Amino acid sequence: MATPLEIIEKKKNEAIERLGAKVSQSTTKINVGMATCEIAAGSRNAMAVFRDAIDSGDIEGVVLGQKGCAGRCYLEPTVEIFVPGETPYKYGKVDAERAKEILQRHLKNGEVIQEWLI
Amino acid sequence: METKYTITLCDAEFSSEHSIGLKGAFEKAAKANSLESGLRFTTCKTLGLKDKGAIVVVNPGYFVYGDVTEELVNKIVAEHLVGGEAVQENLIKEDHLFNRSFKTFGDSEFFGKQLRIALRNCGNIDPDNIDDYLANRGYEAIAKVLTDMTPVDVIQEVKKSGVRGRGGAGFPTGLKWEFTQRSQADEKYVVCNADEGDPGAFMDRSTIEGDPHTVLEGMSIAGYAIGASKGVIYIRAEYPLAIKRLEKAIVDARNAGFLGTKILGSDFDFDIELRLGAGAFVCGEETALLNSIEGRRGMPRPRPPFPAQSGLFGKPTLINNVETWANIPVIILDGSEWFSSVGTENSKGTKVFALAGKVVNTGLVEVPMGTTLRDIVYDIGGGIPNGKKLKAIQTGGPSGGCLPVEYLDTKIDYESLAKAGSIMGSGGMIVIDEDTCMVNIAKFFLEFTQDESCGKCTPCREGTKRMLEILTRITEGKGKPEDIAKLERLGNMIKKASLCGLGQSAPNPVLSTIKNFREEYEEHINEGKCRAGQCQSLLSYVINDKCVGCGACKRVCPVDAISGEKKEAHLIDQEKCIKCGQCYQVCKFKAIDKL
Repeated sequence: MATPLEIIEKKKNEAIERLGAKVSQSTTKINVGMATCEIAAGSRNAMAVFRDAIDSGDIEGVVLGQKGCAGRCYLEPTVEIFVPGETPYKYGKVDAERAKEILQRHLKNGEVIQEWLI
Repeated sequence: METKYTITLCDAEFSSEHSIGLKGAFEKAAKANSLESGLRFTTCKTLGLKDKGAIVVVNPGYFVYGDVTEELVNKIVAEHLVGGEAVQENLIKEDHLFNRSFKTFGDSEFFGKQLRIALRNCGNIDPDNIDDYLANRGYEAIAKVLTDMTPVDVIQEVKKSGVRGRGGAGFPTGLKWEFTQRSQADEKYVVCNADEGDPGAFMDRSTIEGDPHTVLEGMSIAGYAIGASKGVIYIRAEYPLAIKRLEKAIVDARNAGFLGTKILGSDFDFDIELRLGAGAFVCGEETALLNSIEGRRGMPRPRPPFPAQSGLFGKPTLINNVETWANIPVIILDGSEWFSSVGTENSKGTKVFALAGKVVNTGLVEVPMGTTLRDIVYDIGGGIPNGKKLKAIQTGGPSGGCLPVEYLDTKIDYESLAKAGSIMGSGGMIVIDEDTCMVNIAKFFLEFTQDESCGKCTPCREGTKRMLEILTRITEGKGKPEDIAKLERLGNMIKKASLCGLGQSAPNPVLSTIKNFREEYEEHINEGKCRAGQCQSLLSYVINDKCVGCGACKRVCPVDAISGEKKEAHLIDQEKCIKCGQCYQVCKFKAIDKL
């Protein structure tokens, strides 16, 4: 019989496979901070902007996710953008307005908005 | 050309000169291989790998190289960056549990001096997705324990790690586990104390919201070690999102076979349920917490018997705080030897602090024990905003004390903070600048504890009330010369005569501010002066000769205390003035002085 360590190894690989199935080599991943503190700072608004853009087909090849609090209260809401092969981009104080700009300039036109990076 | 690799050079592990040399070596070698435009360089302060010499991290993939020399740089460039194969011989522990978040945000100043053990997954994984936890070696610690270790081995490992309770008192965790394991009973319980009640503290909430499974895994390991099959998480109802995430995590863990019967194919059964508290501060005290779970009034009971002998429903019970639980999987997988290499002689590992108050970068920080207050406030916290001066640092919430600037170089561990006159507490850290009145802040904390006293012990119930009355009259300018001595006498009496930690520590904010800022108390009492300008009753507002007679203050005054003709200097009638400060705020000519 398999030992617990062997079972967990298998489960881990299955989990990695499931996660990988969602994100292909060319997918960009957006993470929005969704802890109580981030939500209080307004992260739901930023989430809605990205969600709408994906649902309406405005942007393609993008996966939207949530994460907990990284501890940067002074910069919340935070949004991270993972483009394959590039170092993660981390934006601070992303309200609905900034989310729309990031959508337009970064995600669509590939322009990194330096002044909002953390 | 897009960035192909990010090279992170760790500054703290070696001198920055060396790191500049290494960067040069990288650039030279990259140029020789026509790679130069595909590299990006970042630096970080520490990775927590003290004995590994110069450290370089290559991303993507998070490859950590130790003992890096210029020779090795050439090899890394040729084999890894160009050839795509990592150099095996200097690759170190590339899958350790601590500092996993470094992959995502290691290069920021805010994270440079931090070391993340309890918060390793926070902000790094999707808390609602168990796959994300599994992909980060989640539930591997419980699997390892069930495969290779006896309950006694587990307890030895936790003991050897030197980890102490993160809820505040700092009792050695391994000893607590051992006591509970040795108690004989047909049933035992594991309890997670998630009743976080200090004003300004949010460590536990963030840990649960960012990484709920780690708490479940830590508790399961303890269940195996002490021989319990039931766990209870006591969490306050005012944390709805944390509760939602825990509920989902528990269901997901059950479905995946990490909770329930025959966990991971072994003979070990363990399940966890949630109990919601109504948000009483005293229920963070372990015996009051147990009463509350049992459905009784949340009041402490005398110890002994300790919960390890007779706890929940009279059975041996192991209670640890959220942050302690979050440390357990790391101790098991990265090992007690590594864990005990972090920190000071008697305080091992890291501590999470909720950094708040008058500091630029407020937030949640996790630092190795032994980090100084200065490092936290200035390097991680970014200093005091608006060019103000630092006055004090309050640690330990309503049970702790205020440390003045002289203690900035105090190393953070249980003993040093106690020696300096404060406590570690559960991790609240409030930075106080010159605009804050120390009497007023002591009053704020006492208002809280006075309100939260359960009322069982007279000294705590009545004493804190009397202390608050005295403090209130001092801030209103009605203090009497003997008040300071009275506060000290009462405070010491309450500390000695109260049953639980709430009463025993409630006078601390007052006693420590009297000890370190006695002159402010004396000024309030003897001169009727508040140097921070916070105690409204002690202020007077006076119009100076900058007044142009615009009448703005006159219009806004709610008690008609201001008189004067248009375009002539106005006057405030001090008898009528209620010191609301509205005229001060509305004046555009700086014509009103606060004295």
